[in-house]
Amino acid sequence: MSVLNPFSKLPGLNTANILLVESEEQFQQSLADALVEETAATVNVRLAKSLPLPLENEEDRPRIDLVAFIINLTSELSFQSAEASLKFLDPGYFLGKVCFMVTNARNTAVPTERLDAVRKLAASLHCPLLFAEDQTPDGVTNATERLLSILKVAAGLVPMTTALYLSSLTRCTVPPDIDQPSFD
Amino acid sequence: MDTSNKRLIQRLMSRIPIKMLRTTLGKWGRLTEVQLKSMNLTQSKWALTEKLIAICEENELEVKHLTELEMIYIIDNPNQGMWHTFQLMDPEDDAQSVELTQFKEQFKSHIRELVRQVSVKMKKHTDEAVWIRIAWGDAFSRPNHLKPTYVVHHLQTPYVFVTSLTAKQKPLLSQALVLSTRHQAIKDANLSGRKLTAIRDLMMRQYQQVFPTKYPSPLTEHNPTVSNPHIGREQAEPAANRLQMACEAFGGGMLPQLQSAVYKLETKFRDQTNKTMTEREEPFKCVVKFASTNLLESLRNCASSGRNYFVITDNGPGPSSKTDQPQN
Repeated sequence: MSVLNPFSKLPGLNTANILLVESEEQFQQSLADALVEETAATVNVRLAKSLPLPLENEEDRPRIDLVAFIINLTSELSFQSAEASLKFLDPGYFLGKVCFMVTNARNTAVPTERLDAVRKLAASLHCPLLFAEDQTPDGVTNATERLLSILKVAAGLVPMTTALYLSSLTRCTVPPDIDQPSFD
Repeated sequence: MDTSNKRLIQRLMSRIPIKMLRTTLGKWGRLTEVQLKSMNLTQSKWALTEKLIAICEENELEVKHLTELEMIYIIDNPNQGMWHTFQLMDPEDDAQSVELTQFKEQFKSHIRELVRQVSVKMKKHTDEAVWIRIAWGDAFSRPNHLKPTYVVHHLQTPYVFVTSLTAKQKPLLSQALVLSTRHQAIKDANLSGRKLTAIRDLMMRQYQQVFPTKYPSPLTEHNPTVSNPHIGREQAEPAANRLQMACEAFGGGMLPQLQSAVYKLETKFRDQTNKTMTEREEPFKCVVKFASTNLLESLRNCASSGRNYFVITDNGPGPSSKTDQPQN
């Protein structure tokens, strides 16, 4: 089973590498275009539909500092694909090097159970949960900025801060009454 | 000028936009230079209409001249109204040798036999299409020029495109077409649209077609989305395969612009938890409609980006949400 390992390769100088995993392969493209615009560090973006990643890319692939799962809340398949990909990550990633980004949270077609399930998943893995709007350029810019803040910490580019420390501040929490019926 | 001619001019003027007016009137050629110049295009449509009526009276123009103007405008702007396609079936032995004059004479004489009062105008366009304008009358009234039927036919092809035809007129037109093109029957080809150019290109296969090749070239140069060296795709091969398949189905070039496709579907209910519905004998009959500003382009895009799964919800008529299915 080819598991992605966070520390098996050497880091690059002033470089941050992010892996965007999205089963629909839509939002990741516009995010990637915005992420590489960053000037403070060299940002390399790897795009994937799901894990495990193909073995033939193993050599050329740089050390991945942050794995971001993009889940489209209107699609059950998107959630299931992300969930299934999790087992192909070394547990070392879950110390602040994984985050979840969801889109279409405001869409009325989304069943509340799905968002609750994503929150529970992120909370159980101690990962941050970001909400993004993917249809407008502003939404893409905002999502990019937030990903970059986490990425720079995860790549070790921010002094006095580690990914584990940041994740303890930003990780998703689940309210105790999440299983109570909501006001719908 | 009598009221019916005036009404015809008014109707024509309401159809023709002001920016097309000069060229259309120029092509018509029934106005002198002076008269053309005297049409001040900054005036309102109403004023221009009155001016045109006055000029036509001055030139003593009749209905047949006015219908020429309409025909010129429609031929240059065919992508309006709803066009329906028909296909001629079972050609006779001499169907291939029907040429223009023969077709024209035969069509006119057949339609006049079927309808006493009818006004037919036929014109051959530069692109080999024969345009026919028919104003229908009946035993009691003159031909109605306000609701003409337009027919486009390319000789030696079985396709006929028709607009503004009523159910009563359909058998008469069909009969005249079948006899004058030397076929035995005509049927509905189930292709309708606003854009005549699109449905014509589709029927006559005038779009960039894909021919199966033994050694398809690698499509690495066709993936322009990943141009930045800092962006790497992990699973590039399936994406390239999907693009290749989409191009094989739809071709790489411009596609005819279809707006909607309607399919009739007979299907059985499939849900393990609902026995009463699954055990029904008769299948369910449904109609599925796909609509878009450019349907074929949207489908090609869906195929190349892996979205090939449609979910129908009951928010409104037709599919309103879609989910993805990984295509391996």
